[in-house]
Amino acid sequence: MNTIVYILLAAGLVFFGGTTLAAFYWAAKTGQFRNLEDGSKSIFDGDEPVGTATDAFADKKADRPLRRGATALQS
Amino acid sequence: MSATTAHPSTVTPEMEKAQRAIIDQSTRIPVVLFYASAVFWLLVGSLFALLASFKMNAPTFLDQWGWLTFGRVRPAHLNAVAYGWAASAGIGTALWLMARLCRTPLRHSKLLIGAAIFWNIGILLGILGILSGDGRSIEWLEFPNYASFMLFVAFGLIAVWAVIMFRFRQPGHVYVSQWYLLAAFIWFPWLYSTANLLLNFEPIQGGAQGAVNWWYGHNALGLWFTPIGLAAAYYLIPKVLGRPIHSYYLSILGFWSLALFYSWNGMHHLIGGPFPAWLVSASVVASVMMFIPVITTAINHHMTVRGNFNALKWSPTLRFTVFGAMCYTLSSVQGIFMAVPSLNKITHFTHYTVGHAHLGLYAFFTMIMFGAMYYIMPRIVGWEWPSARLIRWHFWLVAIGIGVMVGALTMGGILQGLALLDPGITFMASLDYTKPWLLLRSGSGILLTAGHIVFAVSFTLLLLKAGTRREGPTLFGTDQGRKPEPLVP
Repeated sequence: MNTIVYILLAAGLVFFGGTTLAAFYWAAKTGQFRNLEDGSKSIFDGDEPVGTATDAFADKKADRPLRRGATALQS
Repeated sequence: MSATTAHPSTVTPEMEKAQRAIIDQSTRIPVVLFYASAVFWLLVGSLFALLASFKMNAPTFLDQWGWLTFGRVRPAHLNAVAYGWAASAGIGTALWLMARLCRTPLRHSKLLIGAAIFWNIGILLGILGILSGDGRSIEWLEFPNYASFMLFVAFGLIAVWAVIMFRFRQPGHVYVSQWYLLAAFIWFPWLYSTANLLLNFEPIQGGAQGAVNWWYGHNALGLWFTPIGLAAAYYLIPKVLGRPIHSYYLSILGFWSLALFYSWNGMHHLIGGPFPAWLVSASVVASVMMFIPVITTAINHHMTVRGNFNALKWSPTLRFTVFGAMCYTLSSVQGIFMAVPSLNKITHFTHYTVGHAHLGLYAFFTMIMFGAMYYIMPRIVGWEWPSARLIRWHFWLVAIGIGVMVGALTMGGILQGLALLDPGITFMASLDYTKPWLLLRSGSGILLTAGHIVFAVSFTLLLLKAGTRREGPTLFGTDQGRKPEPLVP
């Protein structure tokens, strides 16, 4: 039983250490560390662009009804 | 693959809005399941917390029943809030974030519903096990085997789901939050299973158990809760303000340096213990190196909000999240100093450590989870928070509550630590120094519990779609007829 546990642990170490290194290598190779300015903007959309508060406390936006995505679906 | 490939010119803002609504809707059932169970366990955990705290003031309180003695109520509190509340809220937030960041509707929700069922049965069994005397005296792993196995199954299902989601994501940039989430999802089942194997199923010998215990205990904070909390902050702060992260470069550096250093930190819990000196020293060095990820995150969050701090007056999400992000810096810097052996000599084995734990898991993680829930729930349920007043009460009760608690435990802990180091003071006398501070802690616990009840009421009203349909979001102050100020771009 003990041997199985130690084999499992060693395999876990190699696997999880390995995947972390592989993820880092993959990120570098596929250009995840390039164009960081664009990367930081990847969470914004055409209808929720940079400069628009999505909790809608910027004045004019608050007047537009049903701004939220979820409520828009139901209307 | 660049960020632009996700936005061909044919995609209109209306299409993007509809797509986002579909993605949000697809996460509804699993996220609401995890959130609702989180709120339930938060109330259960608060009750155990109050009981444990009152027993510090009056040790004979409710001691006629074995299942309500301190040795059982205290781990019941820890596990109910750590796994029941914090982890459930974290999983709910992480599921929603994964779907949004992968830009794809949530797939295989049955996997997640199954996970939620295993998860809740596991926690129920675990807490009943602890109360009935089945618990183990291993901090953070008190759950008996039959409960921890259920949790492992749930973690495993979620990890498999996360890998599938990532596989089917829209091409493009992998945002920093997603790195944090993947790290949490993939590493945690491994940490949890390894620690359980080595401590509960096939226990290793003697002192080495302490090393495994704290390797797990600290990694649960550092590689599970911290990444989820930071992932939420790195998404919500820029998204609410409509302003990209101040320095994206620093955020990436922060993630990879956290991955490199945090896993070494656990051994600083064993300073002065019967362990090889190199083991503890390496951990102390890694703890100090945590300055890098902590400072990068602190700079980023502060500089992103800078100029728009008045937005905290209006946005519930932002107010909770920024409070949490500030406390991340505070608790991390505090933790780094606590790992320095000369200071650790005073704080070790005192209430100071308890204060630090609450600063991390409550003031940082829990507050960010509240902020995330205020943002996510209306978007997936299609109904706004029914009352800004309830949110305001919630914020001030818990903000003041946690402030008083951390302050009281810090003061009490320092006095206790200095008294313990003084050979002229007896052990019993050293406890006297803590008494007034522990009373204050019980008071703060009542404030926190009241805040949780207010939040639970607010959450239930939202689920029931109480009140009239609101057009815009529920913001602080709008119920008093004030009009929010516009943002500074």
